[in-house]
Amino acid sequence: MACLSYAQAGCLALERAMAADPAVVVLGEDVGRGGIFGQYRGLQQKFGTARVLDTPISEATIMGAAVGMALAGLKPVVEMRVVDFALCAMDEIVNQAAKARYMFGGQGRVPLVARLPIGIWTGSAAQHSQSLEAWFAHVPGLVVVTPSNPQDNCSLLAASLECGDPVIYMEHKELWTVEAEVDPTAKVPLGRASVLRAGADVTLVTWARTVQPALEAATAAAARGVSAEVIDLRTLWPWDRETVLASAARTRRLVVAHEAVRVAGFGAEIAATVAEELGIPVRRVGGARIPVGYSKVLEDAARISAAAILESLLQ
Amino acid sequence: MNAQFAEARARVAEDGALLRSMYELMLLTREIDRVAGKADGHWHACEGEEAVIAACYSGLRPDDFAVPHYRGMLPASVARGADLRALLAGLAGKTTSHSGGRYRSDVCGPIEHRVIGLYSGALGPTLSYAAGTALAAKLDRRDAVTIAVFGDGTSNRGDFHEALNLAAVLKLGVVYVCQNNQFAISTPAARGVGARSIADRAPGYGIPGVAADGNDAIGLRAAVEIAIERARRGDGPTLIEALTYRISGHLVADAADYRPAEDVAAWRSRDPLARLQRHLLECGLLKRDEDERLARETRERVDAAMAQAQADPDPGADALGLQAVFAAARS
Repeated sequence: MACLSYAQAGCLALERAMAADPAVVVLGEDVGRGGIFGQYRGLQQKFGTARVLDTPISEATIMGAAVGMALAGLKPVVEMRVVDFALCAMDEIVNQAAKARYMFGGQGRVPLVARLPIGIWTGSAAQHSQSLEAWFAHVPGLVVVTPSNPQDNCSLLAASLECGDPVIYMEHKELWTVEAEVDPTAKVPLGRASVLRAGADVTLVTWARTVQPALEAATAAAARGVSAEVIDLRTLWPWDRETVLASAARTRRLVVAHEAVRVAGFGAEIAATVAEELGIPVRRVGGARIPVGYSKVLEDAARISAAAILESLLQ
Repeated sequence: MNAQFAEARARVAEDGALLRSMYELMLLTREIDRVAGKADGHWHACEGEEAVIAACYSGLRPDDFAVPHYRGMLPASVARGADLRALLAGLAGKTTSHSGGRYRSDVCGPIEHRVIGLYSGALGPTLSYAAGTALAAKLDRRDAVTIAVFGDGTSNRGDFHEALNLAAVLKLGVVYVCQNNQFAISTPAARGVGARSIADRAPGYGIPGVAADGNDAIGLRAAVEIAIERARRGDGPTLIEALTYRISGHLVADAADYRPAEDVAAWRSRDPLARLQRHLLECGLLKRDEDERLARETRERVDAAMAQAQADPDPGADALGLQAVFAAARS
């Protein structure tokens, strides 16, 4: 066990995978210097410029090349800097990476991990602060992972590299420096949620950065006599229906909270599934359908606060 | 081209009024760097690249469009007539800015001054907007031009190819200027550009490509003027590569330890501001006491605008602006 930041934990998973499997290679902008968030630090020094490949600013071609590399038997890790920039490579992700296995009856495999950090990034405004995980969860053929802490970032990145399909790996930009003990050998399977706090009155489902305000809200709710069970979904596709449905069947009430815009967010899928299966009341907490503003006041208004989650827990 | 360039350069070198306004813009750019760099770790400093800014955004007509690189957006907006305090307020996210705190003024200039910003946040789409503003002028049978400036990193994106090809095919009045500061964050241009130079790509589009010294304000201005005249005549776009160097990190907060200190020192000695200053003083286009007064006034102007901008009100959360997302509220 070592105390690592979220960024270091992801880096460690990658380092272990690269040491174990020569097929794992990294490509993207500024990876040689360690990535703009330090999530590749030291890898080029250790594995060389051929396996940690700095590219020009060419998102579509970086992603397209990764599709080709994966079809040729490699396991590329694609650095897209932020999810907002990955929009330049949407055809490569949606029409190419996601479709190949199906189209070719399993003969064309695209085992790649595309790192598309999500979320509000302080002072970076509308085009660098989006949480677009629902876009990718909507696409058949993509795995979508949203780690909320250093241990999960290590274990889920390792699982993503082993899964054999295109993985949209969505770290949160304001978690990079969060530190915790990390066991690099601990396994976390894709599609398995984590129950962070047991509760009896309401099930609170969340992921990524919003786990923090969700836990604060659960503590505050407990002081008001409401016992919330907090579930970190960790993987959005496939998502852990069993854990969520079992919890909601006991508590008979569901709240889903995420930083993404509430309208057509992935919370809607969870709420709809729970309502269909259990017929219990559901609520969603999410961002207003508005771009994230630059001023600190406007930016803060776009964040999902513990107070907003608490309000839904108490209703 | 060489005779034409020599003639244009000689003309610019003697144009005291133009050179003084360019020099003032360069001084202003450096002063803005000073205050903005202190206030904001995300500031993209322009030090060493001021000649490109002065050469590209000086002397444009009100009906022309400027599509600046983000490194220079703010001084470009001043050159287009925007208010410095409002622009600095845009850096501090204040209500008095053009965006009311919704966006950074150093990546998105004010459209009311015919400045086009980086609406995408990604690099490259501005080159297509420039083709669009030039096409609008052409369809209106106006001889207004668009000057679009971008970095060496941007020139490697697909947008560059598509925009330059379209502008060439439609003979659009665009001057494309690559502000080649030799770094895309940490990636040196040599690892991003396969061609011998960025100007070398121009013949592939059937347009003139000009390799210029980006630290020589006078020569670069001459190249820009030739390209602007060609664009106004309806003869189509030009690609100018202004070779310069990014003295600062990508952001003020970037220590830029991925490159040799000797390189930075060597380029620092080629400071474009000092070079133009020397020319102005030696040719008697500027007196030393005038120069000192100009420097002092510019410093005071920037300090005052920054102090005012920082004291301006923050937007309230009620200004979140659901009503501003659509023409009529449909949120």
